Amino acid sequence: MKQIFVKETRLLKKILALSFLFFLLLGLLCTSAQEPLCKQIANYTMSVTLDTKKNLIKASEILSWTNDSENSIDELWFHLYWNAFQNNMSTFLTEASRRGRRVTGFTKDDWGYCQVNSIKIINNPYFEAYDLFPDMEFDQPDDENLYDQTVFSARLPHSLEPGQTILLNIEFESKVPRPIARTGVYKDYYFIAQWFPKIGVFIEGKWNCHQYHASSEYFADYGTYDVKITLPSSFIVGATGEHREKINNEDGTTTHHFYQHSVHDFAWTASPHFLPPYIEDYEFAPGKSTQITLLLQPQHKKLKDRYMNAVKNAIKYCSLFYGDYPYTTSTCVDPAYNSGSGGMEYPTFFTGGAYFLTRKGISSPEGVTIHEFGHGYFYGLVGSNEFENPWMDEGFTSFLDTEVYYAAYGEPLYNMSYFGIPVTFKDVRIPIESDGISRHRQTYNMDIMQRFSWEFLEGGSYGANSYSKAELTLRTLKRFMGKELFSKMIKAYSLRFWFKHPRPEDFYAVVSEFAGQDMSWFLDQFIYGSGKLDYSIDRITSNKERQPIGLFNGIYKERERKKEKTKDSVYRSEVTVRRLGEAKVPVDVLVVFEDGQEIREVWDGLYRWKKYIYHRPSKIKKAVVDPEFKLVLDINRTNNSKKMKPNRLAPLKWVSNWLGWLQHTLEFFTIFGG
Amino acid sequence: MKIIINFFKGLKTTGKTTRMVLFLFIINLLFSMLLAIPMYNSLKNSFGHSEVGEKMAEGFDYLWWQEFRDEAQGLETTFTPSIIGKGAVLNNLVDLIQLRIFDSPPIIIIFVFFYITLHTFLAGGILSTFYQDNPKFTMKGFAKGAGSYFFRFFILMLISWVMLFTITAVLGSVFSPILDKAFDNSQTEVTPFYLVLLFSGIIFFIFLFFQMLFDYARIKIVLEERRNVLIFIPEAFSFVFKFPFSTLGLYFLIFLISIVATLVYILLKDFIPQSSYLGVSLAFFLQQVFIFSVIWLRCCLYSSQMNLYRYLR
Repeated sequence: MKQIFVKETRLLKKILALSFLFFLLLGLLCTSAQEPLCKQIANYTMSVTLDTKKNLIKASEILSWTNDSENSIDELWFHLYWNAFQNNMSTFLTEASRRGRRVTGFTKDDWGYCQVNSIKIINNPYFEAYDLFPDMEFDQPDDENLYDQTVFSARLPHSLEPGQTILLNIEFESKVPRPIARTGVYKDYYFIAQWFPKIGVFIEGKWNCHQYHASSEYFADYGTYDVKITLPSSFIVGATGEHREKINNEDGTTTHHFYQHSVHDFAWTASPHFLPPYIEDYEFAPGKSTQITLLLQPQHKKLKDRYMNAVKNAIKYCSLFYGDYPYTTSTCVDPAYNSGSGGMEYPTFFTGGAYFLTRKGISSPEGVTIHEFGHGYFYGLVGSNEFENPWMDEGFTSFLDTEVYYAAYGEPLYNMSYFGIPVTFKDVRIPIESDGISRHRQTYNMDIMQRFSWEFLEGGSYGANSYSKAELTLRTLKRFMGKELFSKMIKAYSLRFWFKHPRPEDFYAVVSEFAGQDMSWFLDQFIYGSGKLDYSIDRITSNKERQPIGLFNGIYKERERKKEKTKDSVYRSEVTVRRLGEAKVPVDVLVVFEDGQEIREVWDGLYRWKKYIYHRPSKIKKAVVDPEFKLVLDINRTNNSKKMKPNRLAPLKWVSNWLGWLQHTLEFFTIFGG
Repeated sequence: MKIIINFFKGLKTTGKTTRMVLFLFIINLLFSMLLAIPMYNSLKNSFGHSEVGEKMAEGFDYLWWQEFRDEAQGLETTFTPSIIGKGAVLNNLVDLIQLRIFDSPPIIIIFVFFYITLHTFLAGGILSTFYQDNPKFTMKGFAKGAGSYFFRFFILMLISWVMLFTITAVLGSVFSPILDKAFDNSQTEVTPFYLVLLFSGIIFFIFLFFQMLFDYARIKIVLEERRNVLIFIPEAFSFVFKFPFSTLGLYFLIFLISIVATLVYILLKDFIPQSSYLGVSLAFFLQQVFIFSVIWLRCCLYSSQMNLYRYLR
């Protein structure tokens, strides 16, 4: 009797599990308005409740994960990012503390965590129901810091073969931290990111699932997110993907249903203070449109148009430069002050950042808005590994944001803030070449660009290499290859690696393909090298040709005294160009003579210097190395040119202005005296 | 009415001593030139022979400035695009109220200190000139006045510093936690913004008030010829508090005029294109007129305050 009962129970469980799988797949199919844009490897169906009194998220997650590799897989690896915020000994906070970013004044309720309460395999054709919870263990693949619980693994009862899918039911609880970085709750503003147990990426024959580091970001596989969020009805909610449904519950809560396929992350925000969402359909190309949602803070109401136009410009130009934006939504969040969530990117969902007194000509909020939207391409669509190749998302996006910003708005104005009031200087415009060069100049020899994000000497070097140097390298490459060819190349690279995980060598291959030559010699110097790029005109001279004096085949020639300069005078002119840095790139040299003649040379830059000698009837006026300013990475632009006659007006003009400042300073501070 | 009468009296007296104002202006110019020469050389060496020179003659080369700033040391660190027109004034206002002057390179701090001391010396000359029944500027009389009051004015200056910095420190300890709290606990940047503005305004007012107060202390020293410096401070206090509307009214009237003069200067300077020797000369001339007017207004303030003091005494 007992046996029959056990058998029936098993049968019933199997039927229930198969039915669940059937309905899950049916649900996925029915809710998908569009065909997925790529293989849906990691698919999450989540039901989430936010307790705003306890700042606690309780959720259940059904994960359907397909082994897309050619290997049999015996274990699964997961991220639990929020455990970085559960104590000060996590790898994230240890690294942050070393960089001077200490967490202070935290009470028990301020710490956050993500705790898995149960993790079970759901019965499906490949697996029988199985509880993985007892086999769960925390791993520290990067630094062996046993306090760090941001990664866990669980051994499978048997191998998951290539092409097979596993279904997991995960019950978890996440305590929303006080904001430390990117996510958390500030008063009643919630920004919820990296908040759920998230499976790592099985790639190149192994799990790629790094711990959460102070300067690292993320890496995940593409899939479908079908998420229902329940929270008090007074909250306005925004999230990744389409806002499909909003159901008001009897208990004063509302359930929001969001859905998005072909993305690799899901983040959301909630606050009762957001202005009612601004929603606009935007046709960025004939027949192609997307819905923009803008969630604004009340004090930024007047910035609505600036934000909205920035998103539109970002969509329009990114579509033009890197391929048509493929998603049906884009949600821009204006973060709450002090929330620490500004300037972050998630698929179809990102945060900007603004100051209520911004002025025309200042690149805020446009700059950050374009940058974060741009990450939708380099990180979102081109799924590079942000842990291991940070320059491939931050560098590309920094390049993207300036290209888009300058195309849409032109050069911003230099500005200063006086008592919080921004003041612009209309005579000082900021050229595109200036973006990042200062940071690069100060840190160029600290690291190489291609490092794991947590392996840079210091935070400044991570930023300078991953953002600035990469941007400057791309801009230099653009000018070196030519705008048209580069544009084709970068668009091809983008489109080719949409929904894939490219590595540096993939980028090398595309560049070389379009350049028609192996471009490693160029890229290696900047991606795997730390040498500086600095060409200079060292010396220019123009002197009359020397007269032959002395014995020539026994015939004595003496000096002829020429009283006046004749038309036949010939000058021997010399231009010495030097390579002051280690980086070698062929470079143009332009020599201009007083009679208007111009000579253009191409120097391979291989040796340390090159001297050009001319015998011409005119003196040199000036010489310029890299006259078209192709080498944006050159850390000293001023020494790229030399003129025979200095400009006397400029120093006079500027010292006169400076003198005015100093005179006023002295007079102003007599307030402290007589 | 008292304010207007004494302001016009002061205006008239200062008008009679324009040569003195000119003398003070030349001292300011020469003093500043001492630092302008090394700055000129720095700029010339940096971009003189480069193509950048042409760009800097036409406008401002931001790329050059980034390079210059990254390598700058000492005096050079003070060269920023914000020294143009309004920036010069606003930079000084922030440096004053937030005491950022102490973040300046040592050479600037030393120069400012010396100039304040020098001005304390000159104040004796200014006030003794205005003290005459028929004010007339003579170098001999000016030097005599400057010399005879310097020690007492210097002591006053030191006392004013102690008082100012004590009050600033006390206010700082009151304002800082409020600001920190506002910065840390606000969900919008609007609240801390207005708090910063309010506290800055209070500190600025205190600076101005103290300047006025010690002006009257100096005036009393000159008018009453007593040796004990310390007694003049409470007396100046009691005078100001006895006639708050007149004293503050006169002070802020002249302060308002100096704001108008500054705005006019800023507006005019923006209109002068400095891409030729003529433009640079015009801009320089305008700048000097502005500095002259600032010194002139300072003298006018002294003169008007002395008249008011005599009027009310």
